[in-house]
Amino acid sequence: MNRKWMIWIALPVLLTFLYGCPKKKPATPPADLDVETTTVPSPPATTAAPEEVQQPAAPDVNDQGEDPLMSSDMAAVNEELQRRGFSADIYFDYDESTLSDDTRDKLSRNADLLKGSPQFSVTLEGHADSRGTNEYNLALGERRANAVRDYLSSLGVAGARLRTLSYGEERQVCDTDDEGCWSQNRRVHMVITGRSNVG
Amino acid sequence: MRSRNTVLTLLSCLLLMALVLAAQQQPPSPAPQATPPASQSPGQVTIELNRGGAKKMKLAIPAFRGPGQLTGEAARGGRELEETVRRDLELSGYFEIQGPDVLSGLPLTGNVQQDLTAYRSTGNEVLLLGDVRAEGDRIVFEGRVLDLGSGQAVLAKRYRGPFNVSRRIAHTFADEVIRFLIGKPGIALSSIAFTSDRTGHKEIFSMDYDGADQRRVTGHRSTSMSPAWSPNGASIAYTSFFNGPPGLYLADVASGRKRPIVTSGSLNTSPSFSPDGRRVTFARSLDGNVEIFTADIDGGNLRRLTNSNAIDTNPAWSPKGGEIAFTSSRAGNPHIYLMDAEGSNQRRLTFDGTYNDGAAWSPEGDLIAYTSRRDGRFQIAVTNVVTLETQVLTSGAGESESPAFSPDGRKIAFTSKRGGSKQIYVMDLDGGNLRQITTEGNNDLADWARSTPER
Repeated sequence: MNRKWMIWIALPVLLTFLYGCPKKKPATPPADLDVETTTVPSPPATTAAPEEVQQPAAPDVNDQGEDPLMSSDMAAVNEELQRRGFSADIYFDYDESTLSDDTRDKLSRNADLLKGSPQFSVTLEGHADSRGTNEYNLALGERRANAVRDYLSSLGVAGARLRTLSYGEERQVCDTDDEGCWSQNRRVHMVITGRSNVG
Repeated sequence: MRSRNTVLTLLSCLLLMALVLAAQQQPPSPAPQATPPASQSPGQVTIELNRGGAKKMKLAIPAFRGPGQLTGEAARGGRELEETVRRDLELSGYFEIQGPDVLSGLPLTGNVQQDLTAYRSTGNEVLLLGDVRAEGDRIVFEGRVLDLGSGQAVLAKRYRGPFNVSRRIAHTFADEVIRFLIGKPGIALSSIAFTSDRTGHKEIFSMDYDGADQRRVTGHRSTSMSPAWSPNGASIAYTSFFNGPPGLYLADVASGRKRPIVTSGSLNTSPSFSPDGRRVTFARSLDGNVEIFTADIDGGNLRRLTNSNAIDTNPAWSPKGGEIAFTSSRAGNPHIYLMDAEGSNQRRLTFDGTYNDGAAWSPEGDLIAYTSRRDGRFQIAVTNVVTLETQVLTSGAGESESPAFSPDGRKIAFTSKRGGSKQIYVMDLDGGNLRQITTEGNNDLADWARSTPER
C-alpha cells in the first residue's frame, strides 16, 4: 500500500516537471483584435546637397622676371626654396613629437631661408602613420606641427607667418602596413602657401 | 473498496499536481540590471557579457499569410516585411524562434485555436501570426502575438503605409513585440552614423541598425569624420576639414542643413553631446597642446577642462551627464581617464594594454568600451567604471577599433580590418551574432543613436 502511494505521488510530480509551466509568463491583457490602424507615412526625401568646396583661384603663370621667388605660383616658389636647401619634410619617431638633432639642423636651414624671404607665410602640416585611432592621430599631428612651429619661432621666424594644420592619418603618402611606409607618414610637411606685401 | 481507493488516489494526485504547479509559478523576473557593487570581492564578476541573463523565450513564427497572393511591388514589400520581422526578433537575442521550415512538420489545420496544441508540442510558448495584404497602393500588415498557454491574443497591431515603408513597419512591430513580451526597448528602429570614403572623399553617412538604407549625410568633398549623434537623434556633430583646419560642425539630419559649432583655432575635433543635448565636449588645440573643452551647441561658453602637457583628446560624455571619459597620454602612452563634467577629479581608468583610446559609454553608464592594443594588435576591451574589471571582447588579427554600444546596451558596433578593408561589424557583448553591416569603400567610426526621432 505504501509503495502504491509513492508511485502516485512521484508520477504526477514527474509529469509536472516534464511538462511544467513556461519559464516566463507574458502578461495577458484583454485580447482586443479591433485595433486602431497605425499609418506609417513615406519618409521625407532627404538628399544631402553636395556642397561645393571653395577652390582657391588658379594662380597666374609667372611672368614677373627672373627670380623664381617672385613668382605668384606657389609651386614654383616651393621648388626654388627646396633647390636652395629648404627641407619640405622632417620626420618623427613613433608616437613622438620631439625633434631629433638631424631635424633641428634641417629646421635651422629652413629658418635662415624663411628669414631671408619674410614675405612668405608657411603652412606646417602635421601627419601621423596609420596605426592608432584617427582621433588620437589628429592630436599627434597637431603636436608635431606645433613642435616645428615653436622651434622655428625660437630661431627668429615670426610666428604670424607660421600656420599649423594637422591631418592626422588622413593624408597618407603610402598604404602598406610596414615600417617602411609608416616612417614616411610620421612627418611635418612644410609648404609656402602665401605671400604678403611685407619686405 | 478498491474503487474508493482508486478515487482517493486520483484525487490525491490531482491535489499534488496542483500544489506542485502552484509552487512552480514564478512572478515575472525583474529586468536584469548589472549594478556593480562599490567594491569587488575576489572572483566577483561585474561585467556580464551575456547581458540578457534570462532564458530565451520560445517563439513560433509560421509563414505570414498573404505575401503569396500579392504581386509586383506589394509582393516585394510583403516579403521584405516578413524577412525583417524575423531578422529583428532573431537579432534581438531574446527568442528561440521556430520558423516555417520547422513548423511545416506539424499537423496544422490553419485554425489557430485548434493548432495551439500542435505549436506547443515543439516547445513553443508564444505564437506570432502575420497577415499582409494590399489595399490599392498601400500595404496593410496585421500582427498578432498569442500566449500558447492560454490561447489568448496578448498583442495585436495593424499598420498601413506605402510599400516603401515595409521595413519600417516591420521594425516598429518587432520593437512592440519585444517591449511587450520582454519589457525592454528594442533597437530595430535605431540608426548608426559612420564615415565612409566610398564617394572618393571621407563623408558622414548613416544607416539602419542592421546596415540597410545607407545614406550620405555630408557632401563636403573633403575629409569629414568623428560623427556623434545628438541625444534626440535629430542631428549629428562631426569634424570636417572642408573649410581649412579641422573644425566642429552640426548637421540636421532631416533638412540636411549644416552649421559650425566651433571653428576658431587650429584644431577642434571628436565631439560628444551632453545628455540634455545642450552642450558638447571635444578636443581643441591651444598652440599645439590638445586639451578637452566643452561648449554650448552654438559654440558659446567655451570652457577648458584639462590642463596637462600631454595629449588629452577623444572625450565621451556619460549617459547621465555627471562625467566625461577621455584619452590622455599623461602617463606616457594613451590611456582612458575619467573626470567630473566640470573637469575635477581626474583619474585613470585603464592600466592594461599599451594604447587605450576611443571611450564609449554603455547606456546604463556602468561600462566603457574602447580600443585597446594587446600584443601589438588593436582589440575592443570593456572596463567597469566602478570596479575597473576589464575584459577583452575581440581577438585575432584584423585591428578591431572604435566601439559603440547599442541603445539597449546588448550589442557593440565596431570597425575591423579582418576582411581586408575597414568595415563596420556588430556583435553581442559576448562576441556572438557577429555580422558585417557595411561593404562599400572603407567604413569607420560608428556612433549608435540612443533614440530615433519620429520620421
